[in-house]
Amino acid sequence: MNLKATGVVVRTGSLVLADVPDVHIEAGKPLSIVGESGSGKSILAHALMGTLPPELSAVGSLAVGDAAFDLAERDSRRRLWGREVALLPQEPALALDPTMRVRAQVAEGVAGWTPRSRAALEAADTRLGQVGLAGASSSYPHTLSGGMAQRVAYAAATVGGAKVLILDEPSKGLDRASVDQLADLLLGHLDEGGLLLTITHDLRLARRLGGEVMVMREAAVVESGPAEVVLTSPAEDYTKRLLAAEPVHWRHPWMRTGAPDDGDVLVRAEAITKSYAHKVVFDGVDIEIRAGERVAITGPSGAGKTTLGNALLGLTEVDSGSVTYGRGAGKGRMQKLYQDPALSFPQRVSLEKAMGDVMRRHGIDASQVEAMLERLGLPYEILRRRPGQVSGGELQRIAVVRAMLPKPSLVFADEATSRLDLVTQEQTVDALMSEVSESGAALLVVTHDVDLSAALADREVAL
Amino acid sequence: MSRLGGVVARRAAQALAVAIGVSALCFVITQRLPGGIAYRIAAGRYGYDMVDADAAASVRDELGLDRPLWQQLGEWVVDLLQLDLGRSLVTSQPVMTEVSHYLAATLQLALLSIVIAVIAGAGIGVVAARRPGGFADRFSSLWVAGVRAVPPFLLGLLLMIVLSAQLGLFPAVGHGDGGIVLPALTLGLSLSGLVARVTRDAVIEVRGSAYVEFAQTKGLPERWVLVRHVLRNAAVSLVPYLGVQFVVLIEGVVVVESLFAWDGLGHSLVHAVFWRDIPVLQASALVLALLIVLVNTLVDLAVLGLDPRPRGRAVAA
Repeated sequence: MNLKATGVVVRTGSLVLADVPDVHIEAGKPLSIVGESGSGKSILAHALMGTLPPELSAVGSLAVGDAAFDLAERDSRRRLWGREVALLPQEPALALDPTMRVRAQVAEGVAGWTPRSRAALEAADTRLGQVGLAGASSSYPHTLSGGMAQRVAYAAATVGGAKVLILDEPSKGLDRASVDQLADLLLGHLDEGGLLLTITHDLRLARRLGGEVMVMREAAVVESGPAEVVLTSPAEDYTKRLLAAEPVHWRHPWMRTGAPDDGDVLVRAEAITKSYAHKVVFDGVDIEIRAGERVAITGPSGAGKTTLGNALLGLTEVDSGSVTYGRGAGKGRMQKLYQDPALSFPQRVSLEKAMGDVMRRHGIDASQVEAMLERLGLPYEILRRRPGQVSGGELQRIAVVRAMLPKPSLVFADEATSRLDLVTQEQTVDALMSEVSESGAALLVVTHDVDLSAALADREVAL
Repeated sequence: MSRLGGVVARRAAQALAVAIGVSALCFVITQRLPGGIAYRIAAGRYGYDMVDADAAASVRDELGLDRPLWQQLGEWVVDLLQLDLGRSLVTSQPVMTEVSHYLAATLQLALLSIVIAVIAGAGIGVVAARRPGGFADRFSSLWVAGVRAVPPFLLGLLLMIVLSAQLGLFPAVGHGDGGIVLPALTLGLSLSGLVARVTRDAVIEVRGSAYVEFAQTKGLPERWVLVRHVLRNAAVSLVPYLGVQFVVLIEGVVVVESLFAWDGLGHSLVHAVFWRDIPVLQASALVLALLIVLVNTLVDLAVLGLDPRPRGRAVAA
């Protein structure tokens, strides 16, 4: 069996979002599509699947095995869903119904499912056992870590026996161990003769899967070929830039090898302890952050990194122990960058208004805002828009501006770039670190990416 | 403490506080109303023509109305703690009997109204949400505006004229056979507009969610996606809204009960105010207040059952 798509073009109005003349996937030989956000790679996957939003229109033809489909007919592939073709959606934590137990959600994917069907529930339990989650079958999704939610979604998507598996950014927000576990499952799917199409900006995952790689940029295919060729010695400039954007390859003026000489202590935590309900998050931790220092807290998802960072900033109360602040760490001198910038701006007012509050509170005048925006490559006019009307990378850079304007002595970046693609991540980190380096502020980074931590921090606290 | 226990304990404390507050407030307000209390009570008992200074004086003596206010209030609170609501000053019936009769009537009406509102409103909402901007959706907007714009008394009169006077289907007033239909329709239809709107918005939002799309691509048939994922999650926002509407319904039935001569709490409250029947007034207000706490408790429990995610402080983690 194989999958072949030809002449795929997706448009919104007259704007072309994806234009891919030829996609060919054979059993056992995966295809990974890499590129920046907005390059059209996810849109291509949804065009093949038949799940494009209604305002987008697709043309082209698709053959799955012997069956042929016209991509313009939106509902034509619905009967394939779950049985022949499955989609592992972006953000699995959001793809699981928050009000339903995991087992019932996986059972719904079983062929011949009916409500209260015993066989389907048993098949779900078996499948959950195969992905290493036998114990989680009666859990609700909000109690699962990101990696576990990903595997539940994988079980639900594949339990119906679909040969063709399409994955949309499966590694987004996941730590390295979880991505590796997922990769093992995917390689298992290939061994059983499955077809795999992976949309990702995680080059490490693409290398691990092997097979073919297609690089997309601005709706078109830049380069394609075997993974070991394209991802090690690419022919095109754009692919080279993409590879250089991995944190291990970074070269920036703000990168440094040693910490500065002893600054004053900004934050000192002694024997702090925190637990939620019956789960201990951390116990007896001592940390000290000095002026101008760059510290990373690393560890797998769910290890309590964010909670520890919040405790250091006084955003979370600790159960026991003490957090004390030096003279440089007064009110408004510690700022936080959030993982999801969209949630850290008021959604229904313009960015200019949100920024105006910060300016009034800290007595900052508009020329400073304009100058900093310009340094970070953003036109002032962008503030006229609302948070939903700018890209994730732009919004995070605006959040950097917002955090740096009050001249903080300590900036806490909480997985601030884990949802961005490599190129955007580098651009955002460069923006943040240029300002941090310029102002001499201390930096506290929470990340599950060890390469990123190595590039940013003077020292690391592993949880 | 379990979350279930937490809800019940919090609401029980609230009920106690509400009971004390409402009783005291009612008492003070009746005392401040213009006109001599004893005269009004005498008028309620014997009719306006029979009231004179002597009748008023005998009422005042009998009920101890010239005692200090704090004594009268204290007595009522002490009785209340023994679950004794006293006797009506006008009819001399035990207040408990009177109020429970009214309460049953009001609950009957409110429940039937909410059922009508949910069937009509949620039905229209779900159909409208199938295609936002389509014909059904535009019809639903018209429905919402229509039933909201017509005040309940006018809608009640229209229903009376059409269904009762013209078609003779249901009696226009009273508790007899089918007498509940018209007041329940009046209240239910006025409410159905906003229920339709809230349902439509909730369903559209849930249908656009990632978990609904995933349920579809898993291969689940569309009608099961609707029942198991869309309606359930839409209910999480709809149920609290219905709770609020139920409360409004219980409180707002005064006009409709009066219009259809339906002997419910609203009706009894109006009369108690009129005749200064303080025990009945206090008991009615108390029952209404406690009913509101009860409805909110049920809503909390229902949402807890529908949606297991923690909320409030626990979410800050």
